[in-house]
Amino acid sequence: MRVRAGEVVLGLGFIGLMITLFLAFNWAPSVNINAFQAPESQRIFYWHVPAAWAAFIAFAVLFVGSALWFFKRSPLGWKLHIAGSEAGLACGLMAVWSGCVWGAAEWGTPWDWEDWRLNTFGLLTLLALFLVLGRQSQPDGVESRDTFSTFGLYGFVLVPLTYVATRIWVIRHPGPVIGGDEESSISGDMALVLMIGAISFTTLIVGHILTSMEITKFEQRLERLQKELDGE
Amino acid sequence: MEDKTYLSIAYLGMIFGLAIWTWTVVSRSRNLEQRINAMEQSLNIKSVDSDSVASVNDTNDN
Repeated sequence: MRVRAGEVVLGLGFIGLMITLFLAFNWAPSVNINAFQAPESQRIFYWHVPAAWAAFIAFAVLFVGSALWFFKRSPLGWKLHIAGSEAGLACGLMAVWSGCVWGAAEWGTPWDWEDWRLNTFGLLTLLALFLVLGRQSQPDGVESRDTFSTFGLYGFVLVPLTYVATRIWVIRHPGPVIGGDEESSISGDMALVLMIGAISFTTLIVGHILTSMEITKFEQRLERLQKELDGE
Repeated sequence: MEDKTYLSIAYLGMIFGLAIWTWTVVSRSRNLEQRINAMEQSLNIKSVDSDSVASVNDTNDN
């Protein structure tokens, strides 16, 4: 069986994630126990933040793919649209899940409907869910691709809005840990583990995008073969 | 619930989700490739990679 580039990258991403997890539990320092209600739960952020970061990359891929399809009718653009929406959904769900569990431990509630960061990110994940489920229930054609691409294009507005949400409207979600002010910065060891996590999630998502694009290529090849078989 | 219980639930959920997602994607890719190879061998043809929706649209544009 031939070795696929996507699967190799996926494997590297998984190894990186396991290293991150090991360092998060065994090496990264604990936070100030007086600053948090649930200080041990804070270790969730070594996967939570990289998962959200990977989701943003996936939504950027979705945006580029949607634009390429909508304006250029590029087959590569459509493959990127599919891969970006699937990866965005998976990483978005991981970030939402881990955030909800942390919220339950730290705030006493899994969700705050008044927090901009939570709601805009939740909407982004719902958009990815709509794109993935919608595509599976609709016949593939120019019209359906145009519709889904339009959602992919306009939905991207939520990405910068989500990114700046904690800078403009700090309500409950913690502020940025990297690129924020002095109060929000983290220690060097914690930042290192977080960076390894971000690199690992990025590698994993690249592997997923490559594999997903290959699946789309196979599906299109299969459809063509089926048509040849049917004599069309 | 204890602090560490929340931590375990969060990580186990993410590990489970990642494993399911990756397994689904990889196994789907391998199954499709096997089906295509079997079809191509039985039909004795070699198909090219192309997007029929995009190519139909190109034809309409011309």
